Amino acid sequence: MVLKILVIEDDKFLRELISQKLAKEGYEVVEAVDGENGIESVKKEKPGLVLLDLILPGIDGFEVLAKMKSDPELAKIPVIILSNLGQKDDIEKGLEMGANDYLIKAHFTPGEIVEKIQALSE
Amino acid sequence: MFFDKKKDSTLGETFDIKITNYLTDGLLVFDKNNKIILFNPRAEMFFEVVEANVLGKSILELSRYEKLSPLVSLLGGGIKPIEKQELDIKGNLIIEITSVPITRNREKINTLVIVHDVTKEKLSDKMKSDFVTLAAHQLRTPTSAIKWSLESLIKEEHGEITDDQRDIIQKAYNTNDKVIELVRDLLDVAQIEEGKYLNKLTFASLEDLIKSILNSRTGEITKKKLHVEFERTDIPKLMLDIEKMDMAVGNILDNALRYTKEGGKVVIRLESNNKEVELQVQDNGVGIPQSEQWRVFSKFFRGSNVMKMETEGTGLGLYISKNIIEAHGGRIWFESDVKRGTTFFIVLPVKERFGEFLNKEFY
Repeated sequence: MVLKILVIEDDKFLRELISQKLAKEGYEVVEAVDGENGIESVKKEKPGLVLLDLILPGIDGFEVLAKMKSDPELAKIPVIILSNLGQKDDIEKGLEMGANDYLIKAHFTPGEIVEKIQALSE
Repeated sequence: MFFDKKKDSTLGETFDIKITNYLTDGLLVFDKNNKIILFNPRAEMFFEVVEANVLGKSILELSRYEKLSPLVSLLGGGIKPIEKQELDIKGNLIIEITSVPITRNREKINTLVIVHDVTKEKLSDKMKSDFVTLAAHQLRTPTSAIKWSLESLIKEEHGEITDDQRDIIQKAYNTNDKVIELVRDLLDVAQIEEGKYLNKLTFASLEDLIKSILNSRTGEITKKKLHVEFERTDIPKLMLDIEKMDMAVGNILDNALRYTKEGGKVVIRLESNNKEVELQVQDNGVGIPQSEQWRVFSKFFRGSNVMKMETEGTGLGLYISKNIIEAHGGRIWFESDVKRGTTFFIVLPVKERFGEFLNKEFY
């Protein structure tokens, strides 16, 4: 079965780049442009993995993560945070809240992000 | 007059009391028994206490006044000498405290405590570093987008490219990575300047930290055929913010590796006298020209001889290193000669009390 990945990212160009890459790698991709939209999509689409940006208009990524983890049906969906926030505090907070991995956008290429996804979904 | 000339008051003879009424700094004067004998109008304003209420009181008695109690905690009952220490006495007032003992025949006869208002400076510092932080953060999304799109071109995800095109795109990719590095350094600098820099301190081995840095640089060391020696004796563990110390020591080691020519030698020495640990990083590289040595630790410094060698480096590395070392209570300095190379020295304190505490209480 093809893994369905939800990409929650507000920057249009970044969202396109990562989605294209994922689609090319054979994943099914759904997109969300902000936190609220993200939560709705998680519930509706039941993705196999979520790529989550943190700084989002309205509900931010941390809140999306908290909402997912408090819902027993969504809590088990793996989440990879993909953010520009690179401070230790943010990374620790994200991992403590239950994210499976934390990637800093500027330090990873889409190719490396795909490798992380593969490692996690095996 | 507050200074009675009949008493043994040395200040009274030479000191015109009225001058202190017009100072823009707060001034507190204590006698040899640490009792207050002067509290000028500006001090009254800062601490919201009138002079008449505090004259003749000892420093410890002053802690009864809410606004004065942080000052008392800072100075202590013996009024220790202090140079320009910052103190936040209420939300919107930040002051800088200097306390100077006045001695005659090696005996303390008075203590001056000078209170300088630095609220405006602190506010503008904060605005500046907030701006840098904001600007740097805003640069992160576009630099990520550039990195990601160039990678997809290099990987030929949008069709084949010629070697010539690949070369150009690869150069653009590397240049963009330098911008990413610069943005990261700027964020570190902004954090340093806000004074909220060190995170969790843990008991760690500096030796292990150096080994792991060297391990991660093996590629470069082999490529440049450098001889790297690591001489060490048994040294105590230190209280470190490992991530930051890794950056501080990494910067020093990287400079040694980078600015030493092919086949050159880098010697790392680690020793301790139980109170302090000293790390030396000695290279026989290009050195720092004498005329530029005074600004080595300033922001954006790059040696003129080095700029001709290669263009990499943001000029922020040593500034960041110095701040990290000093935040750990340590010192950093160097000796350099363009003919012989450079040696950097880092000294870090061994937190004995903590060590003793661990040994005695737990083992």
